[in-house]
Amino acid sequence: MRESFAKKLAFQLKPGNLLAHLVLLGIGLVLLYPLVFMILAGFFTKTEFTTTVLGLLPFPEAPTMRNFLVLFYGSAESAIQKYFVNSGYRTLYNTFWALLTSLLAGYVFARLRFKGKDQLFLILLGTQMIPGTIALIPTYLEFARWPFAGGNDIFTGGTGILNTWWVYFIGGPSINIMGAFLVKQSIEKVPYELDEAAKVDGAGTIRIIFQILLPLQLPIMAFIAITTALGTWNDFATPFFYTSSDALQTLPAAITRLSSAAASPGAVPNWPLIITLGLGMTIPALLIFFFFQKYIVQGLANTGIKG
Amino acid sequence: MNDRKAVETAPLHLPVKSASTQSSLKKFAVRHKDALIAAAILSPMILWWLVLSGFPTMFGFFLGFFEWVGIADSPKFVWFDNYVRFFQDPLYYEALWRSIWLGGLVTSITLIAGFGAALLMNMPLFGKGVYRSIWYIPAVTSTVATTQIFNLLLDTNNGVINNFLKSIGKEPIVWQYSVFWGVFWIVVYSVWKGVGGAALIWLAGLQSVDVSLYEAAEIDGAGRWGKLWNVTLPGLKPIATYIVITSLIGAIQIYEQVLFMTNGGPYGKTEVLVFRIYRDAFWDFNMGMAGASSLIMAVVVFVGTVFYYRWSTNSDRSNTIKIKGGPKS
Repeated sequence: MRESFAKKLAFQLKPGNLLAHLVLLGIGLVLLYPLVFMILAGFFTKTEFTTTVLGLLPFPEAPTMRNFLVLFYGSAESAIQKYFVNSGYRTLYNTFWALLTSLLAGYVFARLRFKGKDQLFLILLGTQMIPGTIALIPTYLEFARWPFAGGNDIFTGGTGILNTWWVYFIGGPSINIMGAFLVKQSIEKVPYELDEAAKVDGAGTIRIIFQILLPLQLPIMAFIAITTALGTWNDFATPFFYTSSDALQTLPAAITRLSSAAASPGAVPNWPLIITLGLGMTIPALLIFFFFQKYIVQGLANTGIKG
Repeated sequence: MNDRKAVETAPLHLPVKSASTQSSLKKFAVRHKDALIAAAILSPMILWWLVLSGFPTMFGFFLGFFEWVGIADSPKFVWFDNYVRFFQDPLYYEALWRSIWLGGLVTSITLIAGFGAALLMNMPLFGKGVYRSIWYIPAVTSTVATTQIFNLLLDTNNGVINNFLKSIGKEPIVWQYSVFWGVFWIVVYSVWKGVGGAALIWLAGLQSVDVSLYEAAEIDGAGRWGKLWNVTLPGLKPIATYIVITSLIGAIQIYEQVLFMTNGGPYGKTEVLVFRIYRDAFWDFNMGMAGASSLIMAVVVFVGTVFYYRWSTNSDRSNTIKIKGGPKS
């Protein structure tokens, strides 16, 4: 046992391997540096932060947990818990729909045969190349003119669904194109005989999808869940553009608001608060990543893009 | 309401069953069973997608043919004036050109660095899973939060980097006044965020290369570099096509880091086209130019993707998998 450990250690310390260790670790630490800085800065009070000359690794004279506690208890400046809860709801909701639509659409494009299937799929994938910014203002207008909502008669009169929860809910059932692409690639690797056998046993389409194919798609579903969850969690655009009331804000939108206030001339950015919110966003994202990270690799390996 | 719509249509075989009483309908249903199921599953999703993404996008393109400045104003149809202006006004064609070379630069640095890292991570090292995680962490953080940290590091008066420069006796730099440094930090930020993901995809590719090919190469007397050149690289071709296309599509549409880090400055010299579109749409309310620019951006991305795909599949047909279109990263 001990000997084999020594052997292993010697192997790791061979010049080539040692160099690889040094490069991966060295650059890895540089990549981590902004996050380390953020965590260290989180221990500063507002006044100490602005008066200290910040070194590469700033350690506060009088470290405070206040910024971290604010994440749980909120503060006068910012209703952080509310942002947290809103971000969380949005993330769960979008993840659920992304999984459902990707699975169903992926099944259709992988297994069913109908005219125009390839063309339809190609068009859907092609739309992913269009910059999303183009749709922001038209979407705004559409939300504002949404029929019979927010005091609208048919099309005008009120504010539509702007600044309501519908802004977050409404996107759910629409098809998740990237997810459908990944599930399609993954289902195509499952032998079709499995479907046939299930059909002979009298399984309908729903049972084939959810009982036969779904259990085999778990890695790619986990991958879609992680990417959607992180994407929604980090999304600043939807709340930033389509809502204004404080009750509807999410963490990234709150940071965006603080930072655009900071961009106006003469304003002193409230860095500790920005950093606290940043930590509040980053830590759950890191937890999601650490718990599910093996699925990221597995999911990628299952999509067939590896050739 | 919308939720119900999707759920109601979910019992997919219903149309087939209800037709079973009439024989001709039944025949139709049996013959087109797949198409009917597909329609039942897809139509609500795609309809919903059309309402929420398709229609607004088309409307945006449509607005490219109008002069419409300010929401209160009424749109005026101007044919191709916006497109003519795009190619005459340096504000726009320079932003497009900047998008292209910046996207190319970010993609090449990210992919080359990521490939190097993947080669190292593929070695039998102790704790390589930890390295993989560390490198990937920046990718899961939020752009809004981490750009603010970068801004803090780059602060003129009390930024960490300037403090460091002062401590080694160099003059502090006002990063925000320099085009070069603006672009430099945008590239650094983008690479910082992207390199771990690129390494992960390259790694998946490296691990899928057929091991027996390495053994065969060894028998033929190939060294480490010989194996890399003759086995690994050709084996990675399909994944290279995928990763180059997706990274380029993503990198050419970079705008968040520009928005949060340089805000296009100084003097608009770090504006990229998607940032310009954002600016037109939200600050200047110039929907006509925003629509025209978006269409041009989409065409550039599409043509670029098709050309790259053609080129990369033509140079070695047998080795390339089919990738239809390009996913957004």
